Amino acid sequence: MRKPPNLSYGVDDTPPLGVNALSGLQHVGLMSIYLIYPALVAQAAGSSVEVAAAVVSMTLVALAIGTLLQAVPLGPVGSGYLCQPIPSVVYFVPSLVAAKHGGLPAVFGMTIAAGVLEVALARALRRLRALFPAEIAGLVVLLVGIATGVVGLRTALGAGHHAGPPSSIDIGLALLTLVIMVALNVWGRGPMRLFCVLIGMAIGYLAAWGMGRIETVELSGAVAGAVFALPGFGHLGWGFDASLVLPFAIAAIAATLKVIGNVTTCQKANDAEWVRADMRSISRGVAGDGLGSVVAGALGAHGLNSSTGAVGLASATGVTSRRVAYSVAAILLVLAFVPKLGLLFYLMPRPVAGAALVFSSTFIIINGLEIMTSRLLDARKTLVIGLALVFGLAVEVFPGLLEILPPAARVALGTSLVLGTLVGLGLTFLFRIGLRRTATIAVPPGAVDTKALEDFLEGHGAAWGARRDVIERAKFNLAQSIETLASSGVTGGALEAAASFDEFNLDVRVSYDGPPLELPEKRPTNEEIMASEEGERKLAGFMLRRFADRVSVAHRNGRSTVLFHFDH
Amino acid sequence: MELREEQVSGVTALAVRGRLDSTTAPVFGQKLEEIVVTPKSRLVVDFGNLEYMSSAGFRVLLVAAKRAEEVGSRLVLCGLSPKVRQLFDLGGFLDLFTIVRSRDDAIAAAQ
Repeated sequence: MRKPPNLSYGVDDTPPLGVNALSGLQHVGLMSIYLIYPALVAQAAGSSVEVAAAVVSMTLVALAIGTLLQAVPLGPVGSGYLCQPIPSVVYFVPSLVAAKHGGLPAVFGMTIAAGVLEVALARALRRLRALFPAEIAGLVVLLVGIATGVVGLRTALGAGHHAGPPSSIDIGLALLTLVIMVALNVWGRGPMRLFCVLIGMAIGYLAAWGMGRIETVELSGAVAGAVFALPGFGHLGWGFDASLVLPFAIAAIAATLKVIGNVTTCQKANDAEWVRADMRSISRGVAGDGLGSVVAGALGAHGLNSSTGAVGLASATGVTSRRVAYSVAAILLVLAFVPKLGLLFYLMPRPVAGAALVFSSTFIIINGLEIMTSRLLDARKTLVIGLALVFGLAVEVFPGLLEILPPAARVALGTSLVLGTLVGLGLTFLFRIGLRRTATIAVPPGAVDTKALEDFLEGHGAAWGARRDVIERAKFNLAQSIETLASSGVTGGALEAAASFDEFNLDVRVSYDGPPLELPEKRPTNEEIMASEEGERKLAGFMLRRFADRVSVAHRNGRSTVLFHFDH
Repeated sequence: MELREEQVSGVTALAVRGRLDSTTAPVFGQKLEEIVVTPKSRLVVDFGNLEYMSSAGFRVLLVAAKRAEEVGSRLVLCGLSPKVRQLFDLGGFLDLFTIVRSRDDAIAAAQ
């Protein structure tokens, strides 16, 4: 492992105390934005101000523990990277449903169940990747983003909380908050951009107070009282509701997929020689993340999941040392004993909270789209994504759609996230019928159409849902190898190429009559390349070897087969 | 493959469109030779519309670069897509050529 030059302090380094503390403070500032989720969940459960503050405080405690579980590897738990959790939006949506149907005990109990599932999934990551291809993983993230945006709009406009249209003041406050967040994010620099959500919330809060949208007596209650106090435990209680298994199971799977992505990003960011993902570290990361949610549920807190924002912040600041986790945990624990923080989030005017959710949802939506389009899409995948989206959104647009179902089923299926994911998964498995995972093409000697060869792999890659970057490498290797063979005149008969794919491997085989293709490990010199076509062929062989993850050449009875293996 | 040549401020800008493989590389190589053989000539090759480049393309480019160096001509490449840039990196060619992002930057660098 080699530390990349852009990092000041890599994962194994020990930054000075000042750098460590400042980094910790930045991370906590970013994490605090998401404290809005436990506050809203507590509100949805009809909790009192004190209980909501306690939920926020215990979430801070859970975050501290979750941060250490992730960054400090211990046995089968913890990736060892600074990719700490936040109160996660993937748990926010099902937690709202649980809060409305079973109160906080249902939220905490189901969060524990989801965390346990995530820990179990840590042992089955390969199977998970096969069952949940990128288009489904991206779809889940996209649906989470859309659901968050819809909740944000409803919260901002007071839908369901009072009869009649939203007030112009509410609309004005929501727009003001959103505009500030957007403006700072687009045109702001440094801390202004980094903390655009917090700044927007603060200004929206002040504006709401100025307009009389926050009762002075509520604010006085928040201001009065001790600064430091032990978090309350009176809200603790755990329940289990079978009708909530599906939404929380999907949340656990989405959380797992997110950790896989985040830990992989951390591995790449901390190793200039990174070639492929270290699945053991990822598995430990998923286990640590799941255990964090188990702890959260047990403590009466919101479900947690590794933060992509934290990973991005660490890379951007050049400080990825796992020792920063100690600062983060320490600051979080201190804040857990400041109940006013929880009150601040509980009292946050709905338009301001809603605007923050709408803002956050945009990045989640785009993240989902990026994951989906990281793979080649064909007609099958287009239909999977499109139909899943339409059916998922139908639940939001026509809430009465599921009235024909029993009440328990309505709870289980009644969110765009669950219905959309189920439709997507169902169609994915259905469309695998008739899908061959191997393909061959015969290339007559003397007439090499490299474009046709590339199109062959491109088309099949789309049908298989292969990663775009892997298919691009395979396309080059197929075209270059056959071009080299044809130009060297070694082929006595037809060239044949075959490609086979599963979620973890792409193999391209080129078979022909003739001696084995030379694939040098060392680059020929410029003089050798220029001197003759032999030098050019050596260059081709060198590039072919480098582009594949593994090559092998076999020769039997005058026939040669070159295998290019690409890890997927 | 299509080649489009134009003169800009004393620099020959050659835009390559399509595929550079063993079939088309000789034509490309001949065009490069025609231009760089003139001592102290200035040539920009724009790969912005290049779809594919094989070892044959790299070989003719290498030959042209050597020729340019011999006669004091200057050769600048531009418009490399991420895919083509990766091929240059793979073949160990990134450090052998002057490569800039845009055509305008290339023309300025060639002057």
